[in-house]
Amino acid sequence: MTDTQKEMEENSLDIDGGNFNSEMYLDCLLKCASLRQVMDKEAEIVNQSQYLQSEMQTLVYENYNKFISATETVRKMRSDFQIMQEEMNKLSENINKITAFSSQISESLKDSGNNVNRLCSTRQLLDKLQFLFLLPTQLNTAIQEKRYIDAVNDYVHAQKVLHKYGDQPSFQSIQTECSEIICALKKSLKERLLSPETSASELAESVGLLRQLQESDSSLQDIFLNCAESRLDQHLKVLSAMVDSTDILAWVEKCNNTLLADLGIVISCYDDIFQDKDSAHLPDFAQKVMSQVFKLFEDVVKRPENAGTEILIRGLDKFFRKLQAMSQIVCSDAVSSKALDVVVQCVNHKANLQKQTIQVQFKENLMKVRQSLASKGTENADLKDILNSLQVHLMQKIQASLLDLMAFLQSNLSFGLKPWCAQAVAEGCWRVISETLIDLSEMVKQMSVLQSSNNIPFELLLVLAKLCLDMQEQGVTTLHTHLTKLLEESAPGTTFEKKDTNSIMVSLSTAAQSALDSEVVYIGQMAAQMLRVSVLARDWLRAPEPRGPRAVCRRVVETLASADSAASQLFPTSLKPSSDSSRRTIWSRAPSSFSPINRLFSERIEVFSPAGADRAALSNGALKVALKALVECVRLRTFSRHGLQQLQVDVHFLQQRLSCMGNDERLLNALLEDALASAQLRCVDPQLMEPSIVDIICERG
Amino acid sequence: MEEGNSIIYGLEHQTRALCAQYECDAIRFLIGTQSLKPNSNQVHVVELEEDTGALHTKVYRHDVGEIWHLKCSPHDAATLMTTHNSYDPDTSQCTMGVSVFKLPTLDVIPKDLDELSAMQGRNAEEMELIKTIIPEKPEEEIRCSEWNPTDPNSIGIVFDNKVSVRDMAADRDVLTIVPEGRSRLKFSGGKWSLQAHHQFAVLQDTHIRCYDTRTECSKPAWSVEHAHRQLCRDLDFNPNRQFHLASAGDDAALNIWDYRSGKEPIFSRTDHSHWVWSVRYNSYHEQLLVTGSSDGRALLTAAASVCHLDHTAAPLLEDGVLQSYEQHEHSVYCVEWSSADPWTFASLSYDGRLVLSRVPRHFKYKILL
Repeated sequence: MTDTQKEMEENSLDIDGGNFNSEMYLDCLLKCASLRQVMDKEAEIVNQSQYLQSEMQTLVYENYNKFISATETVRKMRSDFQIMQEEMNKLSENINKITAFSSQISESLKDSGNNVNRLCSTRQLLDKLQFLFLLPTQLNTAIQEKRYIDAVNDYVHAQKVLHKYGDQPSFQSIQTECSEIICALKKSLKERLLSPETSASELAESVGLLRQLQESDSSLQDIFLNCAESRLDQHLKVLSAMVDSTDILAWVEKCNNTLLADLGIVISCYDDIFQDKDSAHLPDFAQKVMSQVFKLFEDVVKRPENAGTEILIRGLDKFFRKLQAMSQIVCSDAVSSKALDVVVQCVNHKANLQKQTIQVQFKENLMKVRQSLASKGTENADLKDILNSLQVHLMQKIQASLLDLMAFLQSNLSFGLKPWCAQAVAEGCWRVISETLIDLSEMVKQMSVLQSSNNIPFELLLVLAKLCLDMQEQGVTTLHTHLTKLLEESAPGTTFEKKDTNSIMVSLSTAAQSALDSEVVYIGQMAAQMLRVSVLARDWLRAPEPRGPRAVCRRVVETLASADSAASQLFPTSLKPSSDSSRRTIWSRAPSSFSPINRLFSERIEVFSPAGADRAALSNGALKVALKALVECVRLRTFSRHGLQQLQVDVHFLQQRLSCMGNDERLLNALLEDALASAQLRCVDPQLMEPSIVDIICERG
Repeated sequence: MEEGNSIIYGLEHQTRALCAQYECDAIRFLIGTQSLKPNSNQVHVVELEEDTGALHTKVYRHDVGEIWHLKCSPHDAATLMTTHNSYDPDTSQCTMGVSVFKLPTLDVIPKDLDELSAMQGRNAEEMELIKTIIPEKPEEEIRCSEWNPTDPNSIGIVFDNKVSVRDMAADRDVLTIVPEGRSRLKFSGGKWSLQAHHQFAVLQDTHIRCYDTRTECSKPAWSVEHAHRQLCRDLDFNPNRQFHLASAGDDAALNIWDYRSGKEPIFSRTDHSHWVWSVRYNSYHEQLLVTGSSDGRALLTAAASVCHLDHTAAPLLEDGVLQSYEQHEHSVYCVEWSSADPWTFASLSYDGRLVLSRVPRHFKYKILL
């Protein structure tokens, strides 16, 4: 409040303010101002009052004028409004009249409107009728122009009407005509189905139309499938004709583009049209076709032209991709599993081919070796070299073929990284290894059985035995680890279970054994034959005094020595037990050989016994065979004194020369003792020569 | 004689001739010795007394020479035939021959103490020499001589270069077979066929050839070429089954052939470790064969698979060696089944050891039951 009061006090001093208090202002002025100032102020205020006075007068005048003109205007307006009123009245009158007229007009137009409506509906009906009447011709033209879809659509539209009014005579004729045409259409459609030129999409269309024409489903299915089959059969024929003339790539291309593509269309159309998932027709049908395709593909794969890995794999890849796509369409496990089978079969086929190639090449190598052995003669043949070349070649071939099979695992192939494929490749590889080695051992076994009749050089038997042994000791494991490594690189993560290397090793070692046995028997028999003939053919009763060992003994020694040196090239020499008894003369106690006491201390000699895989054992084996034959033959003869002495010289010579071979001196001596003792028994005048003389004769000889 | 325990009988001389006595009820074997010393050769008759297991022997002198081959007559138990060889120091020439003897008695087991003491003295007795056949040329070697199984007067003598069929009554050669072809392979043995009595099979090198003695014998009636990879040493006809024969040879093999199709043996075993010198069918149980070899063993082998082709009810033994008899220390050249006991056989080795052995009991029961 004080604020307002103060303000009021202040404002009361402002002359222009609303609260101006002239008293206060005057007091204030009188108190504050000098006389002069008051005088001045008075003058000023008088001045201002006068100015204001005049201004007020002007304003009054002006406003007065305006008031007068306004009054005049109001007066004028009053007279104008009266006219307006009259005009308005007239207007409302006219409007009323218009309303009456318009209702009159609408009343009169109602009838003609109805007429127009009726006319319109009649026209529509007539249009429909015209369509019906024109239907047969339209159908005909549509059919002629091959617009089967239009025709069928038209017919389906018209059919309802015809069905409804079919009892009317005029429609009946149309209906019959139409159904005749449609029958013809159906027939032509069916014909089209059966004709071989129609494509699969046309086929599907035709079947769709027939279905619209209310053919029964099952017969349609049959027709559809029959037609499809005949068409696919043609593809199959073309494809089977191609088997012999094109390579796998072209074949697969053709197959994919024609047969499999069509089959895909057929199947998808079938599903679209019939939507019958339970039907057994389709899977059977697909199965049938696919099995034929697979058979053809097998034939293609088997063609020698398609043996190249690269081309085979590319062809297979294409085929497999298509098959996978197909299996999605067909929704059949059989196809997809069959697709896997195809790949696995290819792998196996390839593995077989590889195996055969290896075998053929190995046989060729063997032939070469045989020829070179035959031409070179046995003396200067480097058996180690032959063994090496055979072995290296075999190993390289196997490893190369493993590598070749790994091509199936290339990552860019559709089946390359699948575990089942890796499995199949692993199996295939292992088969190549195992069967090659088993074949090798079988071949060696066979050769060692045939040895006597087939005249296989004994050096070759030694080489083969050594080869088998080497393969058994190192080759199998080397190849196994090699394969594991390859698989690890090509398909990491594949589980390659440890294979049964044992049976292969056993097979190889038995083969080696039989080859060694055969070699030993061969050499032994060769020497035995010489001794046998020489003992049996000679007349020992009339033998002259011995002048030296008979020539046959030298030949026997040579034969055994050459075999021994051949064996020494390949088989390690076990250390010979040093023996002082080599100089022992054996005839001193020869006759006692038949006493049971002597026999007690010597072991039974097994002549045809398995030969050990070292030089000495091989030589021992051959020695046994040869010398035992000597013993037996001597017992069949009768000797004179000189005959006996000749044999004594021979035996001494053999003992001297043969003691460096083999490592079983006791065996050698026992057999030679036996021979001499037997000769003594078979002698009519058993007197032996002085050992010193025998020595001299032998050295001279 | 318990199972596994063989009975051994030792002779002083080397031996390679053994034969079972036929047409008698006793287990009786005859052995011929082989010694070049004059007048030292003997024929031993050995009889096994089955009840006691005791062995009784009787010794006869055989002064015409060392015995290479000995055969008892299938027609008369007391008659035997030896193939022998003797040395004449004057001409320094060996001469072979075939002689027929007749034993004075069949009995071997002593009836009383006197006889026993006489036997223990081992005084060799005499036997009656009925006939000796000497070859035309003295140097001709005789391999063996065989009685015709049906005609007592007919014998086949195998020389190294010919076979002659001799009529003993007329004392002349009826027929001579000479080796065909240019190779002139020598004969090493022979045998009459058991079923076709006119057929005589010879061993010629690696082949077996059989001639029909009713013909000219220019061509064999049948043959098994390359029956062994080396020399054939012996053959024996299957006593019960026609067309089957067993052969043994230097390839250590025992082969059984159906000679109608003699390309491959129908049964083959190589169980010996040296030449097989002798093979014999058991005449009662054809699936049992015994072989003797110069590896010093006699092997009892079952060949049941080729003996029961008609699937009779008899149980099959497993093919292969049933038992190896190792009592010999030298080459076994002869084996023979007893003619009286189907389970006993004898084997003879060069050192003069005769071993009488039995088929092991469990095999016997297997065959019988």
